[in-house]
Amino acid sequence: MSTAMNFSTKTFKPRPPDKGSFPLDHFGECKDFKDQFMRCLRENHFDSGACRQDSKAYLECRMERQLMAKEPLEKLGFKDLGAQKSPGPHETTAP
Amino acid sequence: MMLWKKLSYLSSWTVYISNSRLPFLSAYCQYCTRGLSYLVCSGTLRASNNQLFCQRKSLQHVLSRVQGMKRGHNPFTKHQKEEWQKRNKTVLTYIAAAGVGMIGLSYAAVPLYRLYCQATGLGGTAVAGHSSDQIENMQPVKDRVLKVTFNADVHASLQWNFRPQQSEIYVVPGETALAFYKAKNPTNKPVIGISTYNIVPFEAGQYFNKIQCFCFEEQRLNPNEEVDMPVFFYIDPEFDTDPRMANVDTITLSYTFFEAKDGHKLSLPGYS
Repeated sequence: MSTAMNFSTKTFKPRPPDKGSFPLDHFGECKDFKDQFMRCLRENHFDSGACRQDSKAYLECRMERQLMAKEPLEKLGFKDLGAQKSPGPHETTAP
Repeated sequence: MMLWKKLSYLSSWTVYISNSRLPFLSAYCQYCTRGLSYLVCSGTLRASNNQLFCQRKSLQHVLSRVQGMKRGHNPFTKHQKEEWQKRNKTVLTYIAAAGVGMIGLSYAAVPLYRLYCQATGLGGTAVAGHSSDQIENMQPVKDRVLKVTFNADVHASLQWNFRPQQSEIYVVPGETALAFYKAKNPTNKPVIGISTYNIVPFEAGQYFNKIQCFCFEEQRLNPNEEVDMPVFFYIDPEFDTDPRMANVDTITLSYTFFEAKDGHKLSLPGYS
């Protein structure tokens, strides 16, 4: 991996994340959102595109509890999901 | 312009004679040779008192007024010599300028190459233009589904239980995706860890952009604490247009946690 003896070949240069590091969720405040997201992933055979509402909900939870810098969700690639707050893990969208 | 032709070499002097066809040739010598006498005078050439004499029978004709010649200072070729010297100086100046130019170019090549790498993205360097505007406006390439597998490693001296919460996830380029790792500190002492990551295959690493993750910063876990660690990333839509990536269907993201010791400074890329 990174300890391979490659003298003249290109080495992998890890890049820092664009928006920095997530603070750790020591108190599990967003654990429910995470569980809902993981459940959605398992139901949809790990298709990320099907679970974007839940990932949006998780990021919103983090933003509310000061575990992530607040940012408009369009800038995080959720433009097509609309600006409304997604329903939480125990709420269901009205039909 | 008179051109001077070398006629002969005497012991230490060179005789020049002009080809100007004038009956009165200007010769320039202190000594004469036999060859010169045949050429300019069918009699005998003699030099004396800085003058050339042509002796035919009893007549003595003064060919011309001859000036004494110092070695290397021929006033008839002085103009030519000056021209040559000027030409030499010009050529030398051009060569010196080219040399200085080459040295300057070798210094300028370093930032120029870096700019070129950023513009073309060769060698896996970061492609310029990773801004939030790009994330906002990028369009997902829905027909190219990629499998991202997750791997978690821990350094031998770190006693955490670190593992991914999903073994794989199917994403498309241009769409942001979320994934989770879980870490547990089973010891009864707080431990600080720091992680780095790796992407396989190597060329896909330039298209893998992490918006936010948990790497490169010290993460502290209290005794018997378990936390979820998210990774929020996307794959650049230009992945689909790169011919080298045409056969790539699986990307593996591998995180490794190390123990952060006090006073041990890691060289973190891009972090102060």
